[in-house]
Amino acid sequence: MLSFIVNQQVVRTDQHPGMVLLEFLRDVRCLSGTKEACREGECGACTVLVGRLQANGRVTYKAVASCLLPIGDVDGGHVVSVEGLLGAPLTLVQQLIVDHTASQCGFCTPGVVLSLTGFALTSPTLSYTDAIDALDGNICRCTGYVAIRNAVQQLVNQLATTDHTGAGRLAALVAAGVVPAYFQTIPQQLAALPQPSGKLDPNAVLVAGGTDLFVQRPEALMETPLAFLSQRRDLDYVRVEGQVLRVGGGVTLEDFRRSETVLQHFPALARDMLLHSSTILRNQATLAGNIVNASPIGDATIMLLAADTTLVLEAADGTTREVKLDRFFLAYKQVDLRKGELIREMAIPLLPPGGRYRFEKVSNRVTLDIAAVNTAMRLVQAPDGTIADLRISAGGVGPMPFMIHGLQVFTGRALDAPTVDAIVQVAASAAKPIDDVRGSAVYKRLLLRNLVRALLTSAVAEEVAR
Amino acid sequence: MKQEVMAMHVRGASQFVDDMPTPAGCLHAVLYTSPIARGRIRSLDITQAQAAPGVVAVYTHKDVPGLNQVGHIFKDQPLLAIDAVEYIGQPIALVVAESNRAAHRAAKLVHAEFEKLDAVFDPREAAARGMLHGKKRVLVNGDPDAAFARCAHVVQGKLGSGPQEHFYFETQRALACPGEHDTMKVYASAQAPGAFHHHLAEVLGIPQSKVELDIRRLGGGFGGKESTAVWIVAPAMAAFLLKRPCKLVLERNEDIATTGKRHAYQYDYKLGVDSEGRILAYDVTLYQHAGACADISPAVLGRSFLHASGSYRIPNIRITGMSCRTNIPPNNAFRGFGVPQGTFAIEAALTRAAEVAGIDVAVVKRRNLLQAGDTLPYGMKLDWTNAIRCWDTLDTQVDLAARRQAVTDYNRTHTDTQRGLAVVPVCFGISFAQTALNQASSLVHIYVDGSVSVSTGAVEMGQGVNTKLQIIAARTLGIPEDFVRVDSTNTSRIPNASPTSASTGADLNGMATRQACEDLLGRLKPFAAQHLRHPTADDVTIRGGVVFLGDQPTDLHWEALVKAAQWARVDLGAHAFYATPNLHYDLETERGRPFAYYSYGTSITEVQLDVLRGTYAMLAFDVVHDIGRSLTEAVDRGQIEGGVIQGMGWATLEQIHYAPDGRVLTGVNAYKIPDIKFVPPHFGVALLPDSDNPFAVYNSKAVGEPPFVHGLGAYFAVLDALRAVRTDRPLPDLPVTPERAFLYLHGPDLPT
Repeated sequence: MLSFIVNQQVVRTDQHPGMVLLEFLRDVRCLSGTKEACREGECGACTVLVGRLQANGRVTYKAVASCLLPIGDVDGGHVVSVEGLLGAPLTLVQQLIVDHTASQCGFCTPGVVLSLTGFALTSPTLSYTDAIDALDGNICRCTGYVAIRNAVQQLVNQLATTDHTGAGRLAALVAAGVVPAYFQTIPQQLAALPQPSGKLDPNAVLVAGGTDLFVQRPEALMETPLAFLSQRRDLDYVRVEGQVLRVGGGVTLEDFRRSETVLQHFPALARDMLLHSSTILRNQATLAGNIVNASPIGDATIMLLAADTTLVLEAADGTTREVKLDRFFLAYKQVDLRKGELIREMAIPLLPPGGRYRFEKVSNRVTLDIAAVNTAMRLVQAPDGTIADLRISAGGVGPMPFMIHGLQVFTGRALDAPTVDAIVQVAASAAKPIDDVRGSAVYKRLLLRNLVRALLTSAVAEEVAR
Repeated sequence: MKQEVMAMHVRGASQFVDDMPTPAGCLHAVLYTSPIARGRIRSLDITQAQAAPGVVAVYTHKDVPGLNQVGHIFKDQPLLAIDAVEYIGQPIALVVAESNRAAHRAAKLVHAEFEKLDAVFDPREAAARGMLHGKKRVLVNGDPDAAFARCAHVVQGKLGSGPQEHFYFETQRALACPGEHDTMKVYASAQAPGAFHHHLAEVLGIPQSKVELDIRRLGGGFGGKESTAVWIVAPAMAAFLLKRPCKLVLERNEDIATTGKRHAYQYDYKLGVDSEGRILAYDVTLYQHAGACADISPAVLGRSFLHASGSYRIPNIRITGMSCRTNIPPNNAFRGFGVPQGTFAIEAALTRAAEVAGIDVAVVKRRNLLQAGDTLPYGMKLDWTNAIRCWDTLDTQVDLAARRQAVTDYNRTHTDTQRGLAVVPVCFGISFAQTALNQASSLVHIYVDGSVSVSTGAVEMGQGVNTKLQIIAARTLGIPEDFVRVDSTNTSRIPNASPTSASTGADLNGMATRQACEDLLGRLKPFAAQHLRHPTADDVTIRGGVVFLGDQPTDLHWEALVKAAQWARVDLGAHAFYATPNLHYDLETERGRPFAYYSYGTSITEVQLDVLRGTYAMLAFDVVHDIGRSLTEAVDRGQIEGGVIQGMGWATLEQIHYAPDGRVLTGVNAYKIPDIKFVPPHFGVALLPDSDNPFAVYNSKAVGEPPFVHGLGAYFAVLDALRAVRTDRPLPDLPVTPERAFLYLHGPDLPT
């Protein structure tokens, strides 16, 4: 039995925890405002908000794609579909979309409304840029987005004048008409619901974010026991211990991207991670899930590989072992993860003085697209500018993400043009791409060459600038 | 209306077909389709599927109650394959089950054996083998061969443009509900009420009078729901045979893989100019990649053909067009209906000619723009045109020469990035090129409480036609807009309606609605005069819902007028008809007057290219577009913005990959349409001021399709930046994806 709140109503259901929320809302609850247009998290028409009770008694909301979100994962939470905004009067977001004629056929519109409402609830800056980022997973085929941008600008202007800091945010948003007043009663109501125990069934299929699992085999997942990693609240942490950044196995991509601890040490990640899927997917998908998925082209994986990450794996009995990420991938979609094991932690060494980290990705569309090629670099230079340590990872050019071998020979060399050329040559010869929908083999081989050059020349350029 | 409708959209309260409460006992249908591109069906085994849990029936061609045929122009497309298949995705069997899930599972249990035959996937190869839909079309004006000899510069080459998936958010779908006495009511996401109504009746084997097709709104259409009736007819057939409601909803990847797209084209072009860049001769061959059935392809080709000269005056021209029969799903209409493809070739040819002549391409284009008095290749003389006005208005706004200079300066001082810009003029003929389709009717009811209902054959798909009809009805009757409601599109109210396409929805149906309202006024005004004991109806007007005598308001309000009129037995319902006058075209001579008028515009697109990575970003876009006297500026601006971005998507990002066996490899996770970050940071839309258009309702102009063509600017601006890096390679095909841009810059030399 799952229990959660849908809009204003407590729902108890015996439906299989693997039923996706979209189907539950539309077919079981007859709430047809949430639209289905792709079932793969590629369009955003099914965006809803999911609020979860935090230890501090507050509820944090996230906009997510309900087509890839199993209802087992919202147990004890608050689901807000477009009907939950009540609509009489229209909320501020809804009114601004109407005022700016930012809806044509209307099919994507509920998703846009909820993503922008999610932005208002969660954005630390409430800036225009952040609002546009919040819409990076909401595709519209009709408007060309110009009117949507105008509505967003007005929303940001109006929110700038409301007091929205800290604990007062929700009250301010209620006052501004962004969310209905009943949101303020939700924490209390959720506290009265049974919350998930946090103990995971060792025989169940372990679901992290599920944003790829529920694309690949949604039907099978409706016929098997599931365990949800998000219930392991003890895995939701980001902290620095000594010279190591420790990231819990339950941390979502968006929380990682937003983490001040992460950004203090890897400031470029805030931008780089924006190239990873979209807000509504990053809000659900986890860093660990991206690794276990073992996609040859996983963006976060490529970043963490270069960063020399070590995985801490936890067996069902609680014992742990460590594996270097660059040894974790065994073959196409094969990883060194035993039955019952999960990624408990990703340990990322901080950059020493003279160290830098860079990520490059090229995809057909810049945002919410899978890379043709991605690559990342961790470079440590000695005080004299010579190479002390160089790690380059590459994706899209082989059956699994991998480290480019043979770079040790460059240790001690100055990062000059001949060295850059030689490194590019080593990288190029490691590439074994195939023709697929992401690009031809010849493209990917040449692209890796140029992206590795881009990684290195950005370092050289900074050197000159100093 | 727009405000009301949008207020429903933002609340998620607008009902699309799959949002309607599912009727009790509703069944779900799924098509089993061909896994091979061409072959004979040796055997078909449906027994396992029939025995699967939840399955109610599995139908094959033998079960079709009426005519097993959904061909649109020609009768060449069976609803369910008989003994042969011509493309991957061709329907073979219809699986009907108690749930959508059960139907999908059972469809996997249908087994067929095939004898595979050679398939053709290249339109040039199809043309060489004579595999065409309809006839090859050739139009010659002047003497191009002689004129080429006089040219200072001649460029020629081959080029291609790619397919485009509609990606309407609401996939193909319909809900069919059987009624008494073998009647059928179908709720569908469809743009062609008349044609689909006809297909439904034919397939079910019953008169059209027993079929009611109702269309409230579409979650996007863009032409993709105009001609292929398969997904509407199939659930109706199941509902008819089983006497239970039945629904069919395509999954996104089914829709991408098996429905038609914008046609890819191949081109052979040859263009000659004099030393100042004036076009003297143009010879172009259009190879349209049509797919296995004609569907609507010959009509799309016709429009490419008629627009092959773009916005330019071309004294000597030869246009050859072939709709090539290939073994892919039949392609169909997509916003622009062949015009973007026809325009692309002349724009590309002229760009190259300007390069060779050493004159800025914008200067060359301006020099060749259509003027009043020019004659189009098919013999239509332009009494007036706004081509130059649009261009010069844009020039005044943005200073085209200064923009070019700025880009040149930027490129001289940068190497990592290069900028490119393109000025694209648009000339787009309005009317269905098929003269017979230029008709519409409207049914206007005034109820005794004063509310007004308007029904037409126009389909609302987000383009705002209902808003325009509401405005037209309210303006004509002289009442507030909120008195008027536009009802669903329904074949029982409006028979034989033309599809909502060719940008004509508001033009045709708006004219008919205006006429119906004037007919009503013709009855109400005399009654009002009589009621007010005024000697003549000539002094009666209705303004803002109040009856006026001359300039004086009376105490008689609309509601009271209507109530009294009804009691006095005045007919408060009117049906009116409109047919666009003076249209004709002769396919034998390829001469005529196929269009009532033309829509014009000029745009400038600027991009920035990252040379090392081969990626690019849209920087700025400005357009001056001619929409006559806009009925509703917000709606028209939305059409321009949406059309341009959709066109930019076609020109840059949107691509379909096929396997060697013809399978579509590109699913929703790889088919990328523009997202919010793709849109240029600066996007300026100006409407051409003081533009009148006596050929459409209230001086307005059609706006649905023409702006799409401005999207070509994205291709040509990227090309401009690429050419700034190197010019020693042939033009890349459209779309100029990041991969194509990269390989243009850095790829190995291709064998020539």
